[in-house]
Amino acid sequence: MIAGGATPEWLLQGQVGICPCGCIGTRRKGNVIEKTINGGSRLVRQVLFAEDVAATDGLLQRLDPRVKLVTLLGLLITTAFVHHVSVLIGLYAVTLAMATAAGLSLGLFVKRVWLFIPIFTGIVVIPAMFSFITPGEIVVPFGTWFGHPVGMTMQGLTSAALMVSRVAVSISLVVLLTLTTPWNRLLAALRSVGVPRLFVMVLAMAYRYILHLLDAVADLYVARKARMVRPDADVATSRRFVASSAGALFGRSHALSEEVHLAMVARGYIGEVHVLTQPRPATRDLWWTVLCVAVAVTALGVDHLL
Amino acid sequence: MHIPDGYLSPQTCAVMYAAAVPIWVTAGRRVKQVVTNRYVPLLAMGAAYCFLVMMFNIPVPDGTSAHAVGAVLVAILLGPWAAVIAVSIALAIQALFFGDGGVLAYGANVVNMAFLMPMTGYATYRLLSTGTALTAKRRAVAAGLGAYVGINMAALATAIEFGLQPTLFHSADGTPLYAPFHLSHTIPAMALAHLTIAGTVEFALTFGVIAYLQRANLPILRINHENVPEDEADLPAPVTPRIRWRWAAIALGAMVLLTPLGLLAPGGAFGEDAPEELDLAKYHLNAVPEGLNHYAGFWHNALFDGYAFSGDSHPVIGYLVSAVVGILVAGAVILGLVASLRLWRNDDSANPRPEPTGVTT
Repeated sequence: MIAGGATPEWLLQGQVGICPCGCIGTRRKGNVIEKTINGGSRLVRQVLFAEDVAATDGLLQRLDPRVKLVTLLGLLITTAFVHHVSVLIGLYAVTLAMATAAGLSLGLFVKRVWLFIPIFTGIVVIPAMFSFITPGEIVVPFGTWFGHPVGMTMQGLTSAALMVSRVAVSISLVVLLTLTTPWNRLLAALRSVGVPRLFVMVLAMAYRYILHLLDAVADLYVARKARMVRPDADVATSRRFVASSAGALFGRSHALSEEVHLAMVARGYIGEVHVLTQPRPATRDLWWTVLCVAVAVTALGVDHLL
Repeated sequence: MHIPDGYLSPQTCAVMYAAAVPIWVTAGRRVKQVVTNRYVPLLAMGAAYCFLVMMFNIPVPDGTSAHAVGAVLVAILLGPWAAVIAVSIALAIQALFFGDGGVLAYGANVVNMAFLMPMTGYATYRLLSTGTALTAKRRAVAAGLGAYVGINMAALATAIEFGLQPTLFHSADGTPLYAPFHLSHTIPAMALAHLTIAGTVEFALTFGVIAYLQRANLPILRINHENVPEDEADLPAPVTPRIRWRWAAIALGAMVLLTPLGLLAPGGAFGEDAPEELDLAKYHLNAVPEGLNHYAGFWHNALFDGYAFSGDSHPVIGYLVSAVVGILVAGAVILGLVASLRLWRNDDSANPRPEPTGVTT
């Protein structure tokens, strides 16, 4: 019984739900329908956000997409070869500086990067900190186990720090690339660095289809939700609905691809693909390349000396 | 199962890219042959579909939900090589635009989820669905089982890639430089998650979609199943394959005639007549568990103990008689099995199968 006017206790309890899939924090046994609708809108929000950022004026946005693609990929490979946490932290500072130069809000950038893969990685590597998994010099002793000392090892802690920092730097670099480049420019850049034309074309069309078909999914799910009084109690029923909607979606997708093909043929498509022509790289692209090469060489040099 | 950047060493990533390139080249060639100039929109659609399927939350019995990959589903709907390209593109979009899965690890993700998964899954599906009509329930179940096998193979490959990292890449003091878990940790962890939750989800989605298309949209299934009859009634009469007895009989007969060779050869079979000549201690095999040792000689009623009559008075005759009796007994057991299998099959085809679950109003 609740006293008049008082908010029930359970409603006041905050629940941590870091990961949308429920593997971290309290599992939200939410409704499947709602989850899928929310997932869809999150996707659209992400796409719109990326397009907004790419349209703003910043240093990274003004760079030639090809130059940006190659240099950031180079830094990504450099990151993969670095074996010291301190160097990785330095590289992370560089990515933060780049984000500032791109006019990104640092808070948003950090949030976008760290949620949720680096945090997930941090949880996954916890067991590896202990001497059971990574033997070595014990720095945080936890007593003994059948006569053997156990605890966190130097090697385990270093390895965990390496993993988390490398994952964070890598994701930052990819996010920098995709947030500051309109997707059609990025695809044209992919084409000009040697990705096959067919692959780029299918990629471009698939990206468009996704946003279009997402509408169809949202319609299906919203229509279902509108007819529901409460979530399906029975797992089998809701699973059947999900499978049927996925089947119906395939029917629609196929019809759409047929229509698109006819439309393409009607406009003279004979199997050849033309991509956007690219402007010539400017002086600032040269400076940017020099800067990135300097960062990479410094990082690898310091890593070698340490 | 999407591997982010930073988990695998750059060397591993390079190897996986090298493995992915011939897969893409073959897939591109095979798909072009099959669907000519319609393939661009069809593949783009497959990729978009695959991407969206990965977004669907599929309820699992404990009240929560999980995502499926859908690679085997696309392989069944569009063919395995088209699935390779479609899933690769879906993974590329996830890696580039949504930060799900790494850019350097993309090659590894492609090999696991866009190649191993649809190929092993589709092979399982084909194996289990041969000789069934398009609307048969067994076909939908075969699709689900194919998906289950496919996702587990992909998970196994991922576990092996992770598990090799600490062995191959560590610093002088033993600090793992990339993923820190060994094969003995990664394989059980991945197997546990995928044999239970992820496998079930994949089964549910693939089975459910195929069952839905069977009752609601058969023409879609026709894309990759052109010549499969629609109904049980249209199935061609099952052809009982004529077993080629002759060659088997010749080979077996030759082996029977060669049995006396054992009598002519000097010396005895290695370790059989005189177990003591085997120096088991040399191979650290001399510690036989007590329980096993207990059962080593529990049967004392052999008809031809040591391939001879009791007492070993006529070793040659005893050897030949035990050979003949052995051949006859083994032959009788196999023939009996074949006969009962045949009986069971005839019984099965005599009974009409249940109505296909199609046709909803």
